[in-house]
Amino acid sequence: MTSWRRHSPLVAAAVFLVAACGGGASSAPTAAPPESTAPESAAPTTAPVADICTSPPMAEGTTLTFVSYGGAYQEAQRKGWLEPYAALTGVTFQESEDSSNATIKAQVEAGQVTWDIVDVGNDFGLDAQADLLEPLDYTKIPKDEILEGFAGTYRVADITYGVVLGYNTEKTAGQVPEGWADFFDTTKFPGKRGFWDYSSGGIFEFALLADGVAPADLYPLDLARATAKLDTIKDDIVFWSSGAESQDLLGKGEVAMAMIWNGRAYSAKNIDNKPVEIQWNQQIVTADYFVVPKGTPNKDAAMDFIGWASCKENNAAPSKYIPYGPTNKLATADPSKVAELSVSNINDTTAYFDDAWVVENAQLLEDAYQEWKTR
Amino acid sequence: MTRGKGRRPRDGPFVNRWALLAIPPIGFLVAFFLVPLIVVSLRSVTDFPKPTGDVLANYGRFFASAANLRVLGNTFWVAALSTVVCLALGYPYAYLMNLVRPRVAGLLLIAVLLPFWSSLLVRTYAWQVILRDTGIINTFLLDARVIDEPIPLIRTTLGVMLGMSQILLPFMVLPIYAVMRRIDPEYTRAAANLGAPPFAAFRRVFLPLSLPGVLAGSLLVFVLALGFYITPALLGSPKDTMISQFIASAVQQRLDWGIGATMAVILMGLTLAVLFIASRFIRLRDVYGSIEES
Repeated sequence: MTSWRRHSPLVAAAVFLVAACGGGASSAPTAAPPESTAPESAAPTTAPVADICTSPPMAEGTTLTFVSYGGAYQEAQRKGWLEPYAALTGVTFQESEDSSNATIKAQVEAGQVTWDIVDVGNDFGLDAQADLLEPLDYTKIPKDEILEGFAGTYRVADITYGVVLGYNTEKTAGQVPEGWADFFDTTKFPGKRGFWDYSSGGIFEFALLADGVAPADLYPLDLARATAKLDTIKDDIVFWSSGAESQDLLGKGEVAMAMIWNGRAYSAKNIDNKPVEIQWNQQIVTADYFVVPKGTPNKDAAMDFIGWASCKENNAAPSKYIPYGPTNKLATADPSKVAELSVSNINDTTAYFDDAWVVENAQLLEDAYQEWKTR
Repeated sequence: MTRGKGRRPRDGPFVNRWALLAIPPIGFLVAFFLVPLIVVSLRSVTDFPKPTGDVLANYGRFFASAANLRVLGNTFWVAALSTVVCLALGYPYAYLMNLVRPRVAGLLLIAVLLPFWSSLLVRTYAWQVILRDTGIINTFLLDARVIDEPIPLIRTTLGVMLGMSQILLPFMVLPIYAVMRRIDPEYTRAAANLGAPPFAAFRRVFLPLSLPGVLAGSLLVFVLALGFYITPALLGSPKDTMISQFIASAVQQRLDWGIGATMAVILMGLTLAVLFIASRFIRLRDVYGSIEES
């Protein structure tokens, strides 16, 4: 996904710290001397991954800048990861809520990198952006435990979420749309349709799925076929450009159905108390990723944190607060949210983005999208 | 006018030591506006997504796409339309302000300035809430059974005009009002004395005298409107897309700063071309001059 804000407001019922990791580890076996530099990832005495997961290296005096998308999303990351980690290691976290790929590029090009750990969308962190990012240190991160395809050279997924078909039950008059084919059927389901106003956000993928293409055959995208399908409902499409807007449009019933992020649909239903439901068939499961900008002075400390947050004990911590899933296969999500997670609702119809193809063909997609949209 | 001790050459600019005070602001503008502008513009011929020998590759890419040209044309169309709408609303408003007692004029001034004091985004979202199918107007009309289906007010050019003119109106009203204030009412009275009916007096005396303000306001509104994209994006249909939206998407989402710079340069070039053409027909000096005389 992109550098758009995407936060899912959620009531944080309990402000209990995750007690998954051993509390207050004051003396880890490989504790670094109390200097302001991050501890070296030098040869540990035990398996590095297990060490990091329960007692990460102490780093008193280090300040790490953590950047995400703000709102309740970042709040969940803060409560689930940042606060426990700071308590364990003595690291101080400075946060920014304006994650943006363009800012990373600007910082690295200017040689003034201040961001250490950045949460980015699925359209970033690929080999195309190799000169902007540090390769991740997989001696610290449990790569084998991460879901297939969600750990790359420069990025590792921190939360998974789903791009789903959300529908307003009042506007659909009780009928349940079974999938994207129903989304494109305005006779059976009259009303407007919501789409994210972004060429690489999934609009073409969903049009193809509606037209009968199997998830495995989506890429390379047949843009002509997708735009022909989109033309059938073009006049009924309402474009949204922010998570909050999508939640509002669907909740209010301005649109009968919308392409929406599952966290937003969840919020429309449970916080706004609107008649919104999710159709999990044919969802696209995707993720947000942690990256480390190239040239940051706190590289090692950043890698330690990412390793710790990727461990099975810690990875699912934010799911206590928002219905966004863990990326570690062995992690257990919070029971109150398990059913709402994208990864809990995977079936044969589930599709995935081919991030590399999408980024490589970004211009092509954008041109085709704007050509169709402004016709 | 200021009376300095400098020489005042006939028909020449008025220069003296006080003019040196202009050097720091000019230096600031050069360093923080002109230089970055040039640096960014250069990106259009140096930044390419894939290395290429053709220096004008980005320009080629831009003009090769029909959507780009369509949107560029639409940008100027929407800006021109906004100018006309603001003029139609702003001129009578400024005239009214000129007519009434100073205290009432002050209130009218505050009323037109109020939008300045709130965020552009908030205003635009407020228009959404008012105009959309499930918004205030439609819900009211539906409940009153005046209509059966929601009227399409949002995602139309009407919606865009409402949003943009609310934001741009102060820029039209203020220059016109400033000029109108200085028009001596004796002139219109003299015209009446000579037998002109009220409307003729207005048309042939007052209107031409207020023209510098009209031109200043129109130019300001037009150039500002060219850079808008949030309001048309939220209130308009895809056909109302403006070029700045493309620039934002290229810079922020695709990190293709080359094409972003290209589009910015093209927009800037066309704007300067408009100003140049305008200067053939109106003395730009009048536009600045509307503020000069005391």
